[in-house]
Amino acid sequence: MGTKRDETIGVVGAGSWGTTLAVVACEHGTKTLLHCRKEEVAKELNETRLNQTYLPDIRLPSNLEATADLQRVAETCQFILFVVPSHGFRATARVLGGYVTGQHIVVHATKGIEQGTHKRMSEVLREETCLRKIGVLSGPNLARELAQHHPTGTLVASAYDEVFARAHAALHTDYFRVYGGRDVVGAEVAGAFKNIVALAAGVAAGLKLGENTKALLLTRGLSEMARFGVSMGGELMTFGGMAGMGDLIATCSSPLSRNHQVGARLAAGESLAKIQSEMQMVAEGVKTTRAVHEYAREKGLDLPIVAAVHRLLYEGGDVPTLLRDLMSIPTGREFVALSAN
Amino acid sequence: MRREDRERAQIEAATRVVDRIVARAKTSDELEEVLSDTLYWERQRLDRERKDKKRIKQDVAFYQELGRKLRHASEPDLRDYLDRVARRFAGEIVGSFDDRVYRMSTTAVPAILSVMLRATTPDRLRSLSGMRRGLSDHVEVQGAVDRVKRLGKLGTMIVVPTHSSHLDSLVLGYAVHLLGMPPLLYGAGLNLFENPIMSFFMNNLGAYRVDRKKKDALYKDVLKEYATVALELGYDNLFFPGGTRSRSGVVEQHLKRGLLGTGVQAFVNNLRAGRDKPNLYVAPCTISYKLVLEAETLIEDYLKEVGKSRYIIEDDEFSRPRRVLEFMKELVSLDARVVVTFAEPLDLFGNPVDDAGQSLDPRGRVVDPKSYVMVDGEPKHDRQRDAEYTNELSREIAAAFLRHNVAMSTHVVGLAASRLLTRKNPDVDRYRLLRTGGISPCFSLSEISGEIDHLVKTLAELPSGPRLGPEIAGQPADGILEDALKAYGCYHLHPALQRRGDRIFHEDRNLLLYYGNRLRGYDLGRALGAN
Repeated sequence: MGTKRDETIGVVGAGSWGTTLAVVACEHGTKTLLHCRKEEVAKELNETRLNQTYLPDIRLPSNLEATADLQRVAETCQFILFVVPSHGFRATARVLGGYVTGQHIVVHATKGIEQGTHKRMSEVLREETCLRKIGVLSGPNLARELAQHHPTGTLVASAYDEVFARAHAALHTDYFRVYGGRDVVGAEVAGAFKNIVALAAGVAAGLKLGENTKALLLTRGLSEMARFGVSMGGELMTFGGMAGMGDLIATCSSPLSRNHQVGARLAAGESLAKIQSEMQMVAEGVKTTRAVHEYAREKGLDLPIVAAVHRLLYEGGDVPTLLRDLMSIPTGREFVALSAN
Repeated sequence: MRREDRERAQIEAATRVVDRIVARAKTSDELEEVLSDTLYWERQRLDRERKDKKRIKQDVAFYQELGRKLRHASEPDLRDYLDRVARRFAGEIVGSFDDRVYRMSTTAVPAILSVMLRATTPDRLRSLSGMRRGLSDHVEVQGAVDRVKRLGKLGTMIVVPTHSSHLDSLVLGYAVHLLGMPPLLYGAGLNLFENPIMSFFMNNLGAYRVDRKKKDALYKDVLKEYATVALELGYDNLFFPGGTRSRSGVVEQHLKRGLLGTGVQAFVNNLRAGRDKPNLYVAPCTISYKLVLEAETLIEDYLKEVGKSRYIIEDDEFSRPRRVLEFMKELVSLDARVVVTFAEPLDLFGNPVDDAGQSLDPRGRVVDPKSYVMVDGEPKHDRQRDAEYTNELSREIAAAFLRHNVAMSTHVVGLAASRLLTRKNPDVDRYRLLRTGGISPCFSLSEISGEIDHLVKTLAELPSGPRLGPEIAGQPADGILEDALKAYGCYHLHPALQRRGDRIFHEDRNLLLYYGNRLRGYDLGRALGAN
């Protein structure tokens, strides 16, 4: 059930993460079709063998071909990695839906929750396509580190064993360990939620508050993530794994993380509008904060870190207020029983 | 099922199961293990059975002999014993259904009911024609009926209804007959075959026998394989995906996937065999009763057994002919309607299907159902994948149940009264409240009417169901209350609610809970506001 050597893998989304995953698959020996939204970008990638905008230091392997033809990707590839930012996810999924069949396997690697609907990305794929064999890839995966072959691992969660088998065959290498799981909800929630904590951790780093503060934010952030995730139907153990704690540590510790960068620049006094206009890449945490905050309010969930970050980003709050908010969250027992809503 | 198909299905089901076990077994020890397991569970079952029944005596003798022989069996012997046990199970399962008898019986159902009811029925319904009209007036079939009929001609239909009463299979058999559709094959508990009233119908209306006391894997495999073969032979099937009757009255949301999963198996087998009409369609439907025959026993069982495993109810209203007659009388002489509502049919993967039998994706684009089971260009079975497809299908069925559930006056008033009771007695635990009724034995007319009004308005605004029955939609709260009081008072031993002057007394709170539960599952608490 693994990927056959003569099979071509599709990657939809030529941002830094999509391009990195395409490179990993190519290095594994599989031909890869990388879908770019714009024809001229595809042409540039094919001609220069570089993704100058998103992954400038990495030479694209010869078995990677960029294309702007989504139909061709679907018709050529049975296994597709879908790596489109959450704001464009539904529209692209809808187009892809016109070309895929029940046989296709699609693993998405987008860490966000849809604005307005509060849907997870696998739910969006389900609503826009006939696909059933859907999976999510999530873990401590900073694109640039992986592209440089720094060892790491990831989780591919799916209800279908075949999805993990194909993802493992396509991506598992001596520097990228691919683990399997069934908890799609947990993996998606963890991947989205950690970006919110990373924003807060970025602020703390920007203020040079030190390791204690970072550890406090990470552990309480993890607790909040698990509470939120379990209420959405995720499994508690997932939040202690690679998609949860693993990704949280990587994202909150690394200045390479976009969300971390946004937090640090906010701490330096820059406005969110300015930061966003200057960033080429999408910091998912900014949008996820709003989606999670709205969802929590709707469901009556108490998520103090999310609420504090939301005040900073959307309610005219400032950094000193964020700190005061975070440090004034009432304390009680560190652990509380969790239950699904 | 035609006689020749019955024999074919019986042999095919047993042979496939045995072949699979033999192919899987690496040593003869594994074959012996399967047989020992069956022997163990069958002995356990027989220990609890009444020994004077002929069937039980034969079983005891059969398994005693098998136990003796098993000790010295060679590998060919083990295969032979396995085959004998599987065939024995298949023989038990296969019903004596005959479609000629079915046609006659279905036509006769209203007449037979009329004979049963003659003594207690009002004069106006005494004639046979009056009785027939009475029954068809009270069994209403609605929803995606035309599409279901059309698809029945393009492939094999699996009808999956909600399950409240043993009457369901009769009602649905009758509904399908009214629609001019072919009879449905379905598995019914052995207890129904032993029920004095039901045995006639069970033997003639397409039922095959399911012995829920048989716990061993071999029996369950043969049962599932029989259903698979029947589907492959093109017989439309009826599965109750909730398993047993809903004890609490709620619309089933946790569906059993065992029999439902036979659909994908049959589909793959059809494709591999190159059959003309390989497609199978799933038609979810709800059966909504204003009054449920077995309501009192079901809710009592639910309350007793909450959190524990259920037992098989053998002594309920259904086993008491007088109660069935009383119920039937109410069904035809009063306004105790039964509404069968068909939802839009689905394919086996949970996709909606259009009139031409084509599967559609959520955006209405045509999907080839074959693509879900193709591996390297061939249709193939994959246990884990197929089980997950069935999970997806059962989620769609559960959602369809909620959308097409019909809210009736007894449900709305039951829920309104239960909510009022809880609100007026915030400190009393649920069971005590059900037993004692709390601080006051009654509500004022205005407070219950207000609650009904609020509830109906909220239900009407819910984006995904339920449907509102005609006695609810656009009706004033007083009218809804009156309709429910009339229904509550006409069949159950104690009316759930009774009006005395301007006060409404709650007499049977278990029944109120039961009927009100039909409207749980819609997140109504949030919609109604925390109160």
